[in-house]
Amino acid sequence: MSILLFMAPIIFPVIAGIAILMLDKKRNEQMCAWLAFLATAANLLVCASLFNKELSLVIPWAGLFNFEFSLRLYHFSSFILLASAGFGFLISLYSFSFMNGREKINQFYSYFLITIGLVNGAVMADNLIVMLFFWEGLLLTLFGMIVIGSKVAFRTAIKAFVISGVADVCMMAGVIMTIHISGKMNMSEIHQLPISSVTAAVAFILLMIGAIAKAGSMPFHSWIPDAAVDAPLPFMALVPAALEKLVGIYFLSRISLDLFKITEHSMLSTIMMTVGCITILLAVMMALIQKDYKRLLSFHAISQVGYMILGIGTAVPAGIVGGIFHMINHAMYKSCLFLTGGAVEKQTGTTDLSKLGGIVWKMPVTFICFAVAAASISGVPPFNGFFSKELVYDGALERGRIFYLAAVLGSFFTAASFLKLGHAAFFGKPSEDKAAVKEAPLPMLIPMITIAGLCIFFGVKNSFPLHTFIQPILGEHMLEGHDFAGWPVNVMLVVVTLVVIIGAVMNHIWGVEKGGSGLHAADHIHDAPILHTLYDKAEQRMFDPYEIGMKIARWVAQMASLIDKAIDYVYNTVVVESAYAVTGFVRRLHTGSYAVYMVWSLIGTLIIVLYLLGKL
Amino acid sequence: MPVLLVLVPLAAVLILNLPLHRIMCRFAFWIGVILCLVQALLVIQLPNAVWNGPCQVAIRLLRVTPAVDNLSLVMFLSIAIVTFVTLLVARYTISDCGKLFNFTNLVILAMAGMNGLVMANDLFSLYVFLEVAAVASFILIAFDREKDAFEGTFKYIVMSAVATAMILSAIGLMMTVTGSMSFNVLSSVMKTDGGNPVILLSAALLLGGLFIKSGLIPFHGWLPDAYSAAPSATSVLLAGIVTKTTGVYALIRVVTMMHLHSHTMQTLILVVATLSIVIAAFAALGQSDFKRMLAYSSISQVGYIILGLGVGTPLALAGAAFHLFNHAIFKTLLFVNAATVEKQSGTRNMDTLGGVSDKMPVTGFTSVIAFLSTAGIPPLSGFWSKLIIIVAAWKAGFHWYAFIAILASLLTLAYFLSMQRRVFFGKLASGLEDLKEGNPWVLIPACMLAAITIGLGLCIPWLFGSFLLPIRSIL
Repeated sequence: MSILLFMAPIIFPVIAGIAILMLDKKRNEQMCAWLAFLATAANLLVCASLFNKELSLVIPWAGLFNFEFSLRLYHFSSFILLASAGFGFLISLYSFSFMNGREKINQFYSYFLITIGLVNGAVMADNLIVMLFFWEGLLLTLFGMIVIGSKVAFRTAIKAFVISGVADVCMMAGVIMTIHISGKMNMSEIHQLPISSVTAAVAFILLMIGAIAKAGSMPFHSWIPDAAVDAPLPFMALVPAALEKLVGIYFLSRISLDLFKITEHSMLSTIMMTVGCITILLAVMMALIQKDYKRLLSFHAISQVGYMILGIGTAVPAGIVGGIFHMINHAMYKSCLFLTGGAVEKQTGTTDLSKLGGIVWKMPVTFICFAVAAASISGVPPFNGFFSKELVYDGALERGRIFYLAAVLGSFFTAASFLKLGHAAFFGKPSEDKAAVKEAPLPMLIPMITIAGLCIFFGVKNSFPLHTFIQPILGEHMLEGHDFAGWPVNVMLVVVTLVVIIGAVMNHIWGVEKGGSGLHAADHIHDAPILHTLYDKAEQRMFDPYEIGMKIARWVAQMASLIDKAIDYVYNTVVVESAYAVTGFVRRLHTGSYAVYMVWSLIGTLIIVLYLLGKL
Repeated sequence: MPVLLVLVPLAAVLILNLPLHRIMCRFAFWIGVILCLVQALLVIQLPNAVWNGPCQVAIRLLRVTPAVDNLSLVMFLSIAIVTFVTLLVARYTISDCGKLFNFTNLVILAMAGMNGLVMANDLFSLYVFLEVAAVASFILIAFDREKDAFEGTFKYIVMSAVATAMILSAIGLMMTVTGSMSFNVLSSVMKTDGGNPVILLSAALLLGGLFIKSGLIPFHGWLPDAYSAAPSATSVLLAGIVTKTTGVYALIRVVTMMHLHSHTMQTLILVVATLSIVIAAFAALGQSDFKRMLAYSSISQVGYIILGLGVGTPLALAGAAFHLFNHAIFKTLLFVNAATVEKQSGTRNMDTLGGVSDKMPVTGFTSVIAFLSTAGIPPLSGFWSKLIIIVAAWKAGFHWYAFIAILASLLTLAYFLSMQRRVFFGKLASGLEDLKEGNPWVLIPACMLAAITIGLGLCIPWLFGSFLLPIRSIL
């Protein structure tokens, strides 16, 4: 029974996904949607029933390598299972209306369910190899879901596939090295390996690359903004906004808390914090100048990962709790924001900010959900994002002012960009063709309202998530008696945060006055002397690691092709020509005159005679 | 006992040519076929002891003491198979009954000569039988009385005369020094008195003569002309077995029996072999006449056999003997196919042929088998024999020669691919729309030879122990 219950979250969605793929999509669009909805609902029920249970399953497999198929369910993994099942359920509900009438709807639902199954598998896996199997499987559905978005989505899908593939190769190497160092394959048996050698440090960094790349951190981020435009929106709300953050940060926490011992003031901790800060700042700067609803959100999806990495990288309890708390908060508000974006797209037909505006009275519920989620992400009290960011600030300040300053600066730009987004999308002068816009249908509103409600709940009553979900992850001995629930202890931090938010509002008002509309509220930053050139280059993708990598790859390919041509030349021309030259020479020697032939024979015999007699 | 293999064909020729020959005309072909089949059957069926059993009558009659070992048996079998195929091809190409009768007589005569050569145990009888086979083949080449054929046979006669002169001088010189022609005596003399200049001179002349007979480069001038100008059936016999017996087998016999294994001798043979392999392969690449190309290919393949001989280890000799047999099979097959193509299309110029496989599938397919085997593609038999020779050369320390032999395999592949593409593959050439497959007289031997090539290749693990390694006993 326990095996069945255990395997259900993995196998059940996958089977349902394959079944949907086999349906005839022309006649069964509604059936696909219903089947997916029921499957996610069942998945949610199973995951809820599994929550906070301690179970493990070991099936011997591939005995030659002493290799077991082992799954383990405990507090942390059951929490991630529950969260991903919840998002899956809400977004499948949302997709009812959103995906209606689109092409390849059966493929969408199929990949959707298989993704959930694989995520469940990756989270529950205890054996590193088994985890890698599910982890790599996600690549396939990622590719599939982007590809079905539009006709031009293929390039983006390739980009996502290549970037994730490179990161996964790093992770694979990391897994191998970890197994080599520890001599064990099960994560539950590997306990806080000391970072005592270069090998261990490299193994950790490789695993970290895999984890943060899955979460969408820089420099593995560049496919996300492209996918935001090309891929179907529920995919964005589900995968890059929620599931990938959950899985990536889950694994990052596992490696830094359980597998390896990351101490304060260690080199690796500093590296993680630096990566986090750079991600926060660069991505938010890019978000600020975006003129598309979904693209703007996608840069925030990158930027916010920085806070989680920064939090976990601090290696102090406040930071770690803040990082993980921020992970679940971010999954909620970013999912909600994407869903509002989808509602706007569905109802108005565009996500281009220059064409939007003035729909606040047409779509009031959507706007309220947007406002709640935007306030959360900007760190406005008392929404959930405020509390998790305060914890991250607390941890960062403990480690160094510079990290704290970077995080706060990121917060300023986040707030500024969401003021700009809300202003441009919902306020301003309504264009005339938007007169007939209506509120989104109920199946789309319910998920948004639910998530927005949870954002408020997790903020106002933050002791519930912290006590139920997050603090048990670290355990009593790591918390060192702290309890992070309730209002932040450090009043100075709260004041700074409030000042930053007020500053962002003032900056926005000034920008609107200068630029003339909400859309141009950030133009003074865009047009600042040095930033301007940098922005131009970034917009041309000159800093995109993927594009740079592709340029190098193309150059290498050209060189290889030249070398290949040279080798071909040797074989096809030099060898053949010289062979024919020899052949021609031999042919010319054969004149057909027997006298010549006889002379050859006689000379030959003469040589033999002389040679054998030793005269030659 | 083995003497019967000479006496019976000779007797058959005599009986066929009694004044009754109007009646015999019809039977001649079948008598020839039966002789071949019986010979093949005897080789396969009889144990070794019978072969070396005494036969006083024969000895008194012919004044020879035959010697038969494993290598001889291989040769008997090759002779039987190739002669059999020759007769079938003759039946296919020669329609006139009287001509076929004459042809059959000459073929049986040549067969008697070759059988005698194979079992010869002294230098002089070796020479005599060599001439018997050679004279029969002179006439066979000029059988159709065409200008080209006369030119070819003239070159062959002239060069053979030179060879004969050399071999006879060598025999004379040997005689003056040793007083005996038996291989046993010669072998002991070579061991004790190998440095004697007269003996060395005679050995050199002997080798020169046999090189001419084998058609090795640079003694090969007659060979391409004779092969390509001869009637199809004669080319099959000539390329398949006559040169191999009178030249290559005689060379192997002389070198092994007389212990010509000094370092200088080895180097000499290896150099000639390598020259033949490489230059003939290049020459074959440039030919446009189907049979002429096969002739050069023949030289190149003989080079491999001689390479095995030059290396001289038991393994190398086993490889050489195996390649000799394989070569008899696949080169005969190629000449049979050439005969079919020539007969059906009226030309053997490869430039005017093309896409013949479409119309002649059996010929095309068997030809692919033969050329793959020649080029040494596994698992066909040619691959194994070449492999054994090259491995033996490498093991014996002749790395460079082995290396060249491997590279020359590529050339073999090159000229055969070019041949296949020009003749059998591709688009059907214009004017060949009415082309038909040959009749069973050639298709049956073609299929049989292809089956032997494939079968030998597949049975190599069994053959290697039971058949190839015993060949070392000739050392």
